[in-house]
Amino acid sequence: MTELSLRLAVSLAQIAAVMGIVMLTVMILTLAERKVLGWMQDRMGPMEVGPYGILQPIADGLKLFFKEDIVPAGANKFMFSLAPILAMVPALIGFAVIPFGPSETIELFGMTIKPFVISDINIGVLYILAFASIGAYGIILGGWASNSKYSLLGGLRSAAQIISYELNVGLAIVGVLIMAGSLSLVKITDAQAGGFWHWYVFAFPAPQIFAFVVYVISAVAETNRVPFDLPEAESELVAGFFTEYSGMRFAFFFIAEYANMVLVSCVAAALFLGGWNAPYPGTILAHIGLEPFAWIEGVAWFTVKVYGFLFLFFWLRATLPRLRYDQLMKFGWKVMLPIALANIVVTAIAMYIYNQFK
Amino acid sequence: MAQATTSERFITWLKTMTFYELLVGMKATMSHLIHYKPITLQYPHEKRTLPDNYRGMLALLRYDDETEKCVGCDLCEAACPSRVIRVVSAEVPGEPTKRYSKEYYMDMTRCLFCGMCVEACPVDALAMTREFEWAVFDKRDLQLNKQQLLAIGDRSFPVREKRLELQHQNVAFFNVAFTHMPQKPK
Repeated sequence: MTELSLRLAVSLAQIAAVMGIVMLTVMILTLAERKVLGWMQDRMGPMEVGPYGILQPIADGLKLFFKEDIVPAGANKFMFSLAPILAMVPALIGFAVIPFGPSETIELFGMTIKPFVISDINIGVLYILAFASIGAYGIILGGWASNSKYSLLGGLRSAAQIISYELNVGLAIVGVLIMAGSLSLVKITDAQAGGFWHWYVFAFPAPQIFAFVVYVISAVAETNRVPFDLPEAESELVAGFFTEYSGMRFAFFFIAEYANMVLVSCVAAALFLGGWNAPYPGTILAHIGLEPFAWIEGVAWFTVKVYGFLFLFFWLRATLPRLRYDQLMKFGWKVMLPIALANIVVTAIAMYIYNQFK
Repeated sequence: MAQATTSERFITWLKTMTFYELLVGMKATMSHLIHYKPITLQYPHEKRTLPDNYRGMLALLRYDDETEKCVGCDLCEAACPSRVIRVVSAEVPGEPTKRYSKEYYMDMTRCLFCGMCVEACPVDALAMTREFEWAVFDKRDLQLNKQQLLAIGDRSFPVREKRLELQHQNVAFFNVAFTHMPQKPK
């Protein structure tokens, strides 16, 4: 009984820590996006709240918190309230299986605890894909329940887009799964240890560079970001599926979008770029005799990789215009899908031959 | 369209496959990020220098002896395309040759700052200042009377002109009190 409650306490503490970090990252992202976008377009971004506008996320949060919560006439109230929750929860729940740091275990009160992953389940990748799909329901239901043309169109676009591009995400990941022989993100990350030439983007015998490109593009599409932001195309659909949302419900959609960005960045870092593994064998802190602090370096590398991806999201947004709908579909089905399928075939053959001669 | 050669088509295909155009665009945005030179002016904290012919708030002017320039001729009212101006003209008491504007109203909610009233004014009594921060909470605050317009002129144009008859002794005949004319040497 005590062990159960202790495990529960440890798990809850881990969940609280991860949620806190994710929410903090989302806050940083809302500011960082506006700043980076501003700098790239010769503007300044938010400058008024706090020095250089660094307190802007707090001001935004307070504003959204105190805004009136409007439910449009004719809206399906239950679905309307459910949709933001259904969008946000799957985005946050995926972080349960992400390994943020070295997979060493610590003994605490006679229990074995993995400090840097909440739950190392053996189908981690599948779990993330499954919950990412549920997130689409939030968007579709939000669009449908709002009783608005724009929302409905945004929701429908989102449905079509997410179905098309989730397929590519799944297929792009398969190559990595074949090479790692596991669906657990912890095992996949561990298999990439020992220098950047072991990362699955570059790894022998089947470098997953094409799968990586497919994954990144599809991930941008899946998170409804520019240049694939058709569900919320502000120049055509006002704000797409969250046109009618205000106050905290809007904030939930907003958090869901940014949490999804962080999640796909984490998955990309863990699957293709070696997760918390440094691009050189071992860690510097271990080499110079600070073995107990080696985890700091791992976490730092993971953070650097994730923020690199997030910067790529901003960079794309600052550069590219929105795709037309037919271009989006053509690109997804006639370009990305064949590349992903071909990558699976090539990887499978290469791995088969490699294992024969190993 | 001319037929593209095989090598040209191969180059086009290669550019498509490597996202060449996208990379060019991303290089452009990145170079703007690295050579960060914002053109933003943090408006309430720093303001741009306005040009001399800036068409801002309208104002009524005075001569250097504190008398009003306006002669109440109504030409500004006639010139105004939005009917902003309303002038009530009257004789100067005791001086039948001289007129002035007894009342002068401007409805600045309608003004489109075309400057035609300024051009129409025969005695340069109207001017456009560089004031533009005239946002008010009550629309009625933009219905200006003569005193307010003169006050705007006073604070925007501290250096005033001499009276017409003192500027152009041989030309000035319009609305001039001849008793005050400086006598020509005989």
